Amino acid sequence: MKTLKLTIAILILAATTTYGQRYITKTGHIWFHSEAPLETIEAHNNQVNSALDLTTGAFVFKVLMKSFIFEKALMQEHFNENYVESDKFPNATFQGKVTNIDDIDFQKEGSYDAEISGELTIHGITNKVDANGTFDVHPDMIAGTSKFTLLIADYNISIPGAVAGKISEEIEINVDLKLKELKK
Amino acid sequence: MKKLLKIGAGLAVLGLLAAVYIWFFVYNKPHRDYEKADADFIVSAEKIYNQYSGGDSQSKKYLDKVIQIEGIPSYIESTDSTVIVVFAFSSGMFGDEGIRCTMLPNQFDRTRSLSLSENISIKGYCAGYNGTDVILEHCSLVNN
Repeated sequence: MKTLKLTIAILILAATTTYGQRYITKTGHIWFHSEAPLETIEAHNNQVNSALDLTTGAFVFKVLMKSFIFEKALMQEHFNENYVESDKFPNATFQGKVTNIDDIDFQKEGSYDAEISGELTIHGITNKVDANGTFDVHPDMIAGTSKFTLLIADYNISIPGAVAGKISEEIEINVDLKLKELKK
Repeated sequence: MKKLLKIGAGLAVLGLLAAVYIWFFVYNKPHRDYEKADADFIVSAEKIYNQYSGGDSQSKKYLDKVIQIEGIPSYIESTDSTVIVVFAFSSGMFGDEGIRCTMLPNQFDRTRSLSLSENISIKGYCAGYNGTDVILEHCSLVNN
């Protein structure tokens, strides 16, 4: 009986050490930038969910599309109603991995290059995405930043001819996270 | 000929007025003033969270509407650019789950000094549910 209890205790310990190192945020900041001849458009979302497993490198994001705030109300309406159809596809998600997780020493303060690879779903369309980023390891948190571009055509988002000069085919995405350890 | 000129000038003025109108009131129209807007629904924080997290079809009516929620806040989260009031009811893979209200910038100071033991009312635009939380944007404290 005693050995059984001990085995169970060891198993629980093993399980928690494998999955214990999860860092999370719910105030991730993602903003995108579109630069077209007639207009520069920027929108910010400050309520991005993200979780990073320091052991496996698993990295996920969840972004509520209607939380993107634009400078102009009309652009926000067009974005939600015509382009990403937020009522039909309320969330964008990323599921992937930090592929060089073993090169990052999360015990040691410093700045580390990160290679991120995974699947990004926007507007109901999933594409493989590779991006580079940086993790700055601090004593109480990990700051993650990344910048990458995506083509709106890849996500089946069509821009009508009348506003084509105002919206770029290529959108720059910026990610800024302050991940903190998930206390259980 | 004179008449034609008059009509032409009249049309030009009308066109200009229409352009000015479109520029100011359509193209550059400001965001709705959510602080002054009347709430479409007044509901307890716990109830709206339970409706969304439980997949209740009643939750659909809140989307894009001005919602006033009432409850005792769990904590206030501040980042470099935002202040968020959190009502936590559950927990999951991203931590606490509940309602998260992004405050309007003019509400930051008052929000930071809120007591976390009192019932409060917050009004804002309902952006929906992201699978873990109900998100309200452009929020303000309602005096009570």
